[in-house]
Amino acid sequence: MAAFTSYVSSAGQPSYSFPQQQSAPSHASRAPIQHSFYPYTDNGGSTLGISGDNFTIIAGDTRSTSGYNINTRYEPKLFRIGGEGSEHKGSKIVLSVVGFAADGHALKERLDTVVKMYRYQHGKEMSVNACAQRLSHILYNKRFFPYYVQAILGGVDEEGRGALYSYDPVGSYEREFCRAAGAGASLIMPFLDNQVNLKNQYEPAAPQGLEKPQLVPQPLQRAATEELVRDAFTSAVERHIEVGDGLQMMIITKDGIEEVFSPLKMD
Amino acid sequence: MFIARSEYDRGINTFSPEGRLFQVEYSLEAIKLGSTAIGITTSSGTVLGVEKRITSSLLETSSVEKVVEIDRHIGCAMSGLQADARSMIEHARVTSQSHVFHYAEPIGVESCTQAICDLALRFGESASGEEEESIMSRPFGVALLIAGYDEEGPSLYHAEPSGTFYRYDAKAIGSGSEGAQAELQSSYHKSLTLQEAEELVLKTLKQVMEEKLDANNVQLASVTKDKGFRVYGDEEMKACVGRIEGDS
Repeated sequence: MAAFTSYVSSAGQPSYSFPQQQSAPSHASRAPIQHSFYPYTDNGGSTLGISGDNFTIIAGDTRSTSGYNINTRYEPKLFRIGGEGSEHKGSKIVLSVVGFAADGHALKERLDTVVKMYRYQHGKEMSVNACAQRLSHILYNKRFFPYYVQAILGGVDEEGRGALYSYDPVGSYEREFCRAAGAGASLIMPFLDNQVNLKNQYEPAAPQGLEKPQLVPQPLQRAATEELVRDAFTSAVERHIEVGDGLQMMIITKDGIEEVFSPLKMD
Repeated sequence: MFIARSEYDRGINTFSPEGRLFQVEYSLEAIKLGSTAIGITTSSGTVLGVEKRITSSLLETSSVEKVVEIDRHIGCAMSGLQADARSMIEHARVTSQSHVFHYAEPIGVESCTQAICDLALRFGESASGEEEESIMSRPFGVALLIAGYDEEGPSLYHAEPSGTFYRYDAKAIGSGSEGAQAELQSSYHKSLTLQEAEELVLKTLKQVMEEKLDANNVQLASVTKDKGFRVYGDEEMKACVGRIEGDS
């Protein structure tokens, strides 16, 4: 995970597919021209997922950027996986992808097809943990030309508990309670560590010293979690130029997926 | 009749004017020559039983393997050409393992059966270099009883060389299948226990076998939720055979 924290190249320049012209090419100089094509772009944006006792929330902003430009203010990063038809009726799995949007789309199409085929072949809905394993393989199969995305997969497991899986671009994955990804990950993740996993929070009444007990994370309530997600994004929007415009949330429970949209600052 | 047939039973994949594939039908006949195998499903698991034909007193009976494991929760019994079953079982095992690899869950029994049947019609005269090369020049000469336990509970499937499969509560295949199936028809009921199913398998085998049934010339296996697929050992076989001999 750590290796994949920033898309910005070492020079600190915003990333484009084609090299930006520094100056007009002078044919007179006879200097050799090196042509290049870099197949990846960073489309910015941020995603986050939190799993509770009987639900999982996946959220993402809807801005799509290219360098300092905004391509569009509404380009969802959250996708329903499986279910019936192109509306994904009855689906209970959500995939969020952030990084290179085109790869994200390609990945979501692949996974959706696999999940739909699974239902035909095995006569049952795919569980989230089966889907998680499959997604890992899809990513690893392109180990040497990766899908340049950080994926988060959410749903409810077979016991009805919220399930959340996070991935690196080549398919390493882990089930977690919360994860932030994308441009604002470094801003949001510490906030989640503190608020969801109660890191660096101690019993206020206990005596001071090395023995003071850490607060134990409690199962989250849905309404409180939604507020947590909103707070995380409003703060990230303030500090990161690639995050903003709109907040899309999908809440997965045993009854299906609920989608909530709320505006974010557009500056 | 046979003269009329001979025109169409050469080409493996040639329909006769009546719409039949003779080689496939003949392969079903090959199973009727095989040793009898029986499977019975109960609410707590599925029992498989096979007759071992001990052709010589010098034959090591443990080398006659007619019930084998496909995965921890799936096993199968066979009747017909043993050697043909090897490639089907190999395919089923690979498919089961690849399912665990891809989906981190055990394969469903029906999906496993389907995988075996997908192989059944991959025979024919395709030339080398063709896109999908068939692996067999003729249909398989073996039928399988596939027993398993998955999230749907215990189940039993019968797979034929024609590539069709059906789910059964109780099924007999092989040379004694007609008599055995009639016995199962009259004796089977939904509330059988696993023990009663073991006894019914043995009693039915006893009726249709040419030799006298003993602990060496039959083999039992079962699939249950807790223990998965399990072939009964010598001691257990003796105990089971002892139980039905006490009765009669």
